[in-house]
This record gives sequence, C-alpha cells and structure tokens, in this order.
Amino acid sequence: MSYNIKLDVFEGPLDLLLFFIKRDEINIYDIPIAHVTSEFLDYIHMAQQMNIHLAGEFLEMAGILMRIKSKMLLPDKNNQDGEDVEDPRTDLVNMLLEYRKYREISKQFENREKFAARHYPAKVENNSDREYDPDLFLSEVTLFELSSLFKKLLQNKPEPQYYEIEKIDISIQEQRIYIMNRLEEKKRIGFWELSKDLDNKLEVIVTFLAILEMVKVNTIKLQQNDVFEEIYLEKRDGGEQIAPRA
Amino acid sequence: MHHAHKVVLALLLSAEKPLKQDQVELSLEEDVDLEKIVEEINQYLAEHEMPIEVQNIADGYKVVTRQTYEPYIDRLFQKNSKPGLSQAALETLSIVAYTQPTTKSEIDSIRGVNTSMKTLLSKNLVEVKGRLDAPGKPLLYRTTDYFLEYFGLASLGDLPKMKEIEEMLEDKEEQTQNQ
Repeated sequence: MSYNIKLDVFEGPLDLLLFFIKRDEINIYDIPIAHVTSEFLDYIHMAQQMNIHLAGEFLEMAGILMRIKSKMLLPDKNNQDGEDVEDPRTDLVNMLLEYRKYREISKQFENREKFAARHYPAKVENNSDREYDPDLFLSEVTLFELSSLFKKLLQNKPEPQYYEIEKIDISIQEQRIYIMNRLEEKKRIGFWELSKDLDNKLEVIVTFLAILEMVKVNTIKLQQNDVFEEIYLEKRDGGEQIAPRA
Repeated sequence: MHHAHKVVLALLLSAEKPLKQDQVELSLEEDVDLEKIVEEINQYLAEHEMPIEVQNIADGYKVVTRQTYEPYIDRLFQKNSKPGLSQAALETLSIVAYTQPTTKSEIDSIRGVNTSMKTLLSKNLVEVKGRLDAPGKPLLYRTTDYFLEYFGLASLGDLPKMKEIEEMLEDKEEQTQNQ
C-alpha cells in the first residue's frame, strides 16, 4: 500500500516558522512560543517518520524554541520591579524579520525573472572560428570558470597505467662465483660464450660488472685483440680469492 | 531616422551583450548621446508598431521582442517550459544583491541554513570578488552584469529600495492583525 502525501518543502527553519506565522495569522512581534514550538516539533517528527532528511539547522532551531519557551515560563525577578527586561524572543524575531525581507525580495526577483523572460533578445550567431585576442578573451573568464575547467581537466586525466615487472634476482657476487666456476671447467673463456647462457640483458650487465670487479682485484686477466672483438677471461694466480658461498 | 540611429539599431541587433555608449562612439567615430538616440529609436519603433523595442539593461542597451510576441516565439521554438531559479537560489541572490560584497557566512546567518553558491556561480549570476580581510579570509560575492541582464535591470539602483520592502511588509502585518 502506498500513500501520496504532500509535504511542503521549506528552505529552512526560518521559512517554516514564517509559514506557521502566516497560516495561523500570528503577530510576528508577539509569537505564542508554546504553540509554534509544538507545531515545529510536529513537523520534524513527521519528516523523520517519512524519512525526509532535514538539515541540522531544523534541530538547532527546535533547541532555540524550547529554550525560549522555558525562559518564558520562568518568572523574572526584574520584572516584578517593573523594569524593562529583554523579551527572550527578541533575537528570534529579528532573525525572522530580516529573513522575511529577503524572502519578499526574492519573490519580486521571481516576478522580474518571469517578466524579463518574456522578451527575447536578438539572436546573434556565435562565430566560433573567430580569432580572439588571448588577453581580451581571458578578461571575460571568471575565477569560477577557471576552477571548474581545472576540475574537468583533472577528471579527464588518464588513469595511471600499471605494468608488471619481474624482479631479476642477481648480484655481482653471484656472477663472480659463476665466472670462477666456469673458469674451473675451462681455462680460457670468451665473454660472448659466457653470455650465451645468460637469460637477459640485466644478467649480462651484472656479469660484465663482475668481470670488471674481478680484474680490479686481480682474480682474472682479460685479453682483447681489437676493439669490438671477443674479450677473453683467464684466471690469474695469486689474486684475491673468492670464496664460493652456498 | 538619422544615420546614427540606423547604425545604433544595427549595432543593437548584432551585439551579444548590452551595448554601451563607448562602443557606439568607437564604431561611429564620433561623440553621441546614446540615451537620446535610443529614446528616439523607441519612439520610431512604437510609431511604426514594430515588434521590437530597446531596453536599458545592465548599464547598456539591448534590443528585444515585445511581450506580445512571446507566445508565437514560444510555439515555434518550444520554449514553453522555462524553469526559473529555485527559491533557495532566489533568496541567496537577493541577499547578495542587497548586501554585496558579502560572504557565505553572512548569507547563511540570514537564511538560517547552509547555502550553496554553486548554482548562482555556474549561471554567472554572482561572482567572487576578492576575499574579506577577516579570520579565514572568506570569499566575497557580488552580482554580475549578467544578473542585471537576467532580471532586466538597468542598474543595481533599479532594485526596489529596502525601505520600500520594509514598509510594504509592515502594512501587510497591520492588515493581518486588524482582520
């Protein structure tokens, strides 16, 4: 079963209070707080039952109304002395009066809006391939336009692409041992020959670095007959020994 | 109509935004009294029962169709649904118009609710004009020239005076109480 219930939507608590004031023909300068408070709370309860999300300001106003109501119930000491005390409703009334003014103006704006829309301006074709002086063009751009443009740009930014890269686990020390092992098998070995058994570029590079390292500490000696020709490795006696590690 | 009048009308018909005195002088290469020329153009248009008129809008002039022809234009271009601004937007706009330059917190305190400036900014009815030299440096809002155009106002001075609004509301209040 479904119900169609029309619930007036109010712009805010002040709008709602003005609605009560108008509907019940209340004197805005002498608001019957108890009555208005109970009406106000009823509206909140109704909205809550209908799962209408009310702005927090409605609850804040409910608090203000209840505080005014309780203040008005308390007999005021000063009042007995005949002194003028501030009505606890004053702040609220001022807020309502101020808001009511602008709401009235907004109604006039609405009329003007309708009236202005009844006259159509001469339509001018906006020539898009007209050349603009960039300085002149920018003078018409507002800060808001710039910021919304920037936001759009950010939205259009391509998603970062991720690639999977396999980590190649290889160290110079390991390649030194590898080279030493190969030199155990064969006394003299060429770099090309050595590289043939390696899987990728990185391994070749690390192996080459290992060779340089070994030359430095005199473990091996190199021989190359000409530029770009094969480099031969040979074990050297008396150099720093590399202890093969497990 | 004199030559100047014809040029002004031509300029009005081809201008995207309200036409101003200095633009006309730039185009005609002579000093003119645009207000007088426009008045005379309007007289001519009225005498000849032309369907257009020149309006004084946003410190300039704009040529528009007369209200009588609205239904015909609407029928052809199907402009029958003209969604206006929401109540919230109108309220916010009226506060900005009368208290400008103003801040969001001032608007919020008058309306008693949290206000979004987004619609008005995107419709170019209000714009940000600097920041207030106060804690938090809040943005200052004010109405644009397009605001005047949108509401068919010649200038901000064309807005009803706040005092008039107050008096009108007082009268209403008294009437209600006397009933």
